[in-house]
Amino acid sequence: MKVNIVDWHGVATWHWKLASNDGKAGYVDELCGICRVPFDGTCPNCKFPGDDCPLVLGRGCIHNFHVHCILKWLEQEASKGLCPMCRQVFVHDPEDNPHSEEFEYLQQLEDGHRLLREKGETTYEE
Amino acid sequence: MSRVKRIAKELEECRQDTQSGVSLELNNENDLTHLTGYFKGPPGTPYEGGLFQVDINIPNEYPFKPPQMKFLTKIYHPNISSVTGAICLDILKDAWTPILTLKNSLISLQSLLQSPEPNDPQDAEVAKQYLSNKEGFVSTATYWTKIYAYTDSSSAAPGSAGGAVPGADAAVFGIDNEAVNQFENMGFPRDKTIQVLNRMGVKTLNVSNRSELENRVLEELLQECQ
Repeated sequence: MKVNIVDWHGVATWHWKLASNDGKAGYVDELCGICRVPFDGTCPNCKFPGDDCPLVLGRGCIHNFHVHCILKWLEQEASKGLCPMCRQVFVHDPEDNPHSEEFEYLQQLEDGHRLLREKGETTYEE
Repeated sequence: MSRVKRIAKELEECRQDTQSGVSLELNNENDLTHLTGYFKGPPGTPYEGGLFQVDINIPNEYPFKPPQMKFLTKIYHPNISSVTGAICLDILKDAWTPILTLKNSLISLQSLLQSPEPNDPQDAEVAKQYLSNKEGFVSTATYWTKIYAYTDSSSAAPGSAGGAVPGADAAVFGIDNEAVNQFENMGFPRDKTIQVLNRMGVKTLNVSNRSELENRVLEELLQECQ
């Protein structure tokens, strides 16, 4: 018997690789703690999941967030630059992430909070 | 936009959860920013048996700014204003983080009732009494729970019947009944006495300079009743 393939469609699925998948964290949280939407979905202001709405991982604390969500939090002075989950200083690893506007902005916010902290500490000691 | 979606999710989650003992209701079906929260007073505290109502106002920046909460039910507690219901709790102020939800804020309030923090008071008068006269504090807080927070009519509210319990009118202001009786026996009207004691911030006469305090109250009363 001879089969002629006339047409075909490939199908693929994808998931974000979360911190907990590496076995670093004890339990798996599938929701972004800030917007309460699954990581594989988008933050509330985006339309397309995936590279358009990337995730970021805290380097010290291994908590995941939508980049857009953590940006909004770190824009608040009241955040003091801390991770919303564990209140450690939030920093990301630039090596692990694409070089894009979002991550540059994230770096700026992290640096800004670091400066504020350092300034705060010196005035405190005086 | 993000605010509306998140509040809707939180409401749905809270409706499905029957375990936590807190509930949320919209004040108006079309407005997701004004809600009322309900929870029960924790057992083993003066608030046991009461159902407490909390007014919730959600700011535009939610969840990046904390929800504004205040007690609608009158409550006698060092960290809650006995007049306005304003709450002093760090997570509703500078310790807020966006992973907190309305539900766990209400649970935090419930545990605030369990463990008051009199050294960081919202209501200084109540905190002072909590530290100096714990028994008096407990009896007033219990009384307030009975008259303001009981919903079940069978077990509740002797005060609503109008003075069914002796000293109820004084207890509402946290004033020792014995103090009121003393001046009442001298011939001063009971309501005026309570009014004056409350205005002077006197809760009890059992203090070191008792006679001096009695004289001050007498003077005030005489002026009041002229």
